[in-house]
Amino acid sequence: MAKYQVAKSIDVRGEVCPVPDVETKRALKGMKPGEILEVWIDYPMSKERIPESVKKMGHEVLEIEEVGASEWKIYIKVKG
Amino acid sequence: MVWTGLLVGAIFGIILQRGRICINSAFRDVLIFKDNYLMKFAALAIALQSITLLLFAQFGVIKLSAMPLNWIANIVGGYIFGIGMVLAGGCASGVTYRVGEGMTTAWLAALAFGLTAQATSGGVLSGWMKWLNKYNITVASNSSVYVSKTGPTLATIFNVNPWIITLIFVVLLLWYAFGTKTSQRETKINWIVAAVLIAILQPIAWWASAASGRNYGLGITGGWTNILSVYTGNKPLNWIGAEVLGIILGAMFIAIVGKEFKLRMPKKPSTYLQVLVGGVLMGFGAATAGGCNIGHFLTGVPTLAISSIVTSIFFLLGNWTMAWLLFGRER
Repeated sequence: MAKYQVAKSIDVRGEVCPVPDVETKRALKGMKPGEILEVWIDYPMSKERIPESVKKMGHEVLEIEEVGASEWKIYIKVKG
Repeated sequence: MVWTGLLVGAIFGIILQRGRICINSAFRDVLIFKDNYLMKFAALAIALQSITLLLFAQFGVIKLSAMPLNWIANIVGGYIFGIGMVLAGGCASGVTYRVGEGMTTAWLAALAFGLTAQATSGGVLSGWMKWLNKYNITVASNSSVYVSKTGPTLATIFNVNPWIITLIFVVLLLWYAFGTKTSQRETKINWIVAAVLIAILQPIAWWASAASGRNYGLGITGGWTNILSVYTGNKPLNWIGAEVLGIILGAMFIAIVGKEFKLRMPKKPSTYLQVLVGGVLMGFGAATAGGCNIGHFLTGVPTLAISSIVTSIFFLLGNWTMAWLLFGRER
């Protein structure tokens, strides 16, 4: 089941652009260093955008896991 | 000749979907996310198109035509459209290709967009357009590349050969595209390839559209109003209507092939309300301004049309206003 010790999980499937990006950033802000955030998305553009923008913020992208037809979970480790 | 619209639209739809081309994102990302990836696409596409369009016109294959300048319509319509695209979750083209990807919020936004554009250009709000049209400014062309009576362009205003302005314009845009740092992103086709493909498609689209009696390049707004009048009024499908259908089908085809098609629904029902309002504002804005982010920004700006340049500036300002209100705290 759970691959990582996820501290927080958000489900932004179906949300319009750029809500997934914004929600990811909001979630990361409230987290402690080393914690892992799980972001559940279903839009391919989010899969391309979110990892790049969180990397730019200094966080680590552990994995982009394909969990279904056009559905992915991004695991992000908070920097620190 | 309407079928050529379907073909051009399908190719356009594939490029939009693969390139993830969204002008709403292009504008917003620069401000909110400090990301210039799509803005660079837009700059390069406009630069290259201004050359390809002018080349086709120089060889007499097409006659360029700029939309009339109308300060009130371009400023007011542009600003309202800019606000609308943020709420709708995509510009006119973004929403159109997402219809094909199965994004249900885009279906509602597109429907609201098309209906309101129709209401504004020929329906209950047409009095507004009739009043506005009195302030349309057109001029006599100073070059054989333009139709004899055209909206003012940078070339007609300075009364110089369009090539001179175009070359200055291209140098500035190329400097922005290649002289500054680019945000990284992984896409199926990168911004440079997408811009080159659009620059090849645009003059061909113009030529095919002109052959069917509509002397203009790629667009969205007129296509949606046509599709709705085919559906509700039994009117014939025209070139631009076929082009919009093509975009949807092309995007749907490539999304299915790429395993990216999915019926996507947001969990918050209020999202539908937000995109509905966005679609209405976009439809009113686009009809008022005489075009959307494709008709004015992507197609009009390369023809050096003042109307398109003014409208595009207000697309950007409207977009930034609404993006700032919704997402400004995330900077």
